[in-house]
Amino acid sequence: MNQELPIYYLYPANLYAPQEHYLINTLLGSCVAICMYDPIAKIGGMNHFMLPLWNGEGLASPKYGNIAIEKLLENILKNGAKKHNVIAKVFGGGEVIESQHHYFNIGLRNIEVAHKMLKELNIPINGESTGGKLGRKIQFDTFTGSVKMKYINKQQM
Amino acid sequence: MNKRITDEDLLNELKIRFEQNKKALTELKQKSEQLRKVNEKLKESESLKSHFLSNVTNEIVNPFASILGLSQSITSLKIDEYEKIRPLAQLIHSEAFNLDFQLKNIFAAAKIEAGLAQPELAIVNIHSLIESIIESYRYKAQQKELKIQFKYKSKNKSTSPHEFPTDSEKLKLMMSNLLNNSIKYSNAAEKIEISSEINEKDELKIMVRDYGVGINKNEQEKLFDRFVKGESTIHSLNEGYGLGLSVTKSYVESLEGRITVDSEPKKGAVFTIYLPRPEETSYLEGFSDDGNQIFFEDSDEEF
Repeated sequence: MNQELPIYYLYPANLYAPQEHYLINTLLGSCVAICMYDPIAKIGGMNHFMLPLWNGEGLASPKYGNIAIEKLLENILKNGAKKHNVIAKVFGGGEVIESQHHYFNIGLRNIEVAHKMLKELNIPINGESTGGKLGRKIQFDTFTGSVKMKYINKQQM
Repeated sequence: MNKRITDEDLLNELKIRFEQNKKALTELKQKSEQLRKVNEKLKESESLKSHFLSNVTNEIVNPFASILGLSQSITSLKIDEYEKIRPLAQLIHSEAFNLDFQLKNIFAAAKIEAGLAQPELAIVNIHSLIESIIESYRYKAQQKELKIQFKYKSKNKSTSPHEFPTDSEKLKLMMSNLLNNSIKYSNAAEKIEISSEINEKDELKIMVRDYGVGINKNEQEKLFDRFVKGESTIHSLNEGYGLGLSVTKSYVESLEGRITVDSEPKKGAVFTIYLPRPEETSYLEGFSDDGNQIFFEDSDEEF
């Protein structure tokens, strides 16, 4: 049924919050993706961050959880979502073997920052699949707010 | 039940607890030290940002003023003075070229920070891409009498050794930044070497080497942070915003590659980019739709 919908593949360190109806796909290893959604306005968006906190190095990009979460909320509010309606769904943060970087417990720390910041922002978490040892594929429908998820047995993301 | 504790047990227990407290305290100290460092760094970044905003005005307004002035003088030339047009037009071009380059970096940084810097992969002729970048810097290099050498080789015995799948716009800006820096930090009449290859690991490797002022170890650490510029002893006016290398690094990372710097003061610097070959499926048909299609079945979990 969704074959006609435009699909957006979200790369790590990016975020996407369209005004139109989209399916947003992404692949997660130790990265965490948060889908934010306003069920009344039917507006949603997704981020995909790799590390928990920006420490002043490089650019202040949504590669970092604290920035990615703030920016995503900012973006969906700009599109007409109302803060008190916004809900979140959290995915990823698996302890898959990382070839690129060797941070300790990076998945867990990513999940932790997601929980902490959503709590501070008073955004309820309505769905979650985090941790574990597997990677995940997810697909977020920005109009219905539903997220489909599949585990993948991939060594590196 | 009353259990009697001997004085010795009590002392031992206290000792253990004191030790634990002490350990916790040192850990706390270390943590707060880390926190202080991060805080300092964020503060520094913030002040650099506000500094940047005040700089932008000058760096955009000044080139525009010269472009306006120079083009004005062209229009007021007499009909028999047209041989004067060429040097004037060249100056206009170099001012506009600089401005364009700086703006590209600003927009690129803004896009990265907004989370909109998605890689757009296609098959790219690396050889001609690099040559076109060198060509666009020819005038700038000539002004300092710099020689730019370019070598390309491919260890990959494929039919199209010059081609590699990557994001051409991003690669262009990365190359412009590395070349622009090497020109900026070179002394007059030196040479710049650019070499590119597809190495044994099937990575695209691009190296830009200059023999200019170089960078000391302390500065190397900060080089890729935003708004940080190298010390230039050559230009009294050190143009640019210090965005180039932070943009370059973010781009390299978005293509899952890495960038290294090797430099010593007064001996020049070598910047090397390594980009791994993207997985086949992600670029063949454009990138967004078919390449990364994820198929779901009704049996999959839904949230």
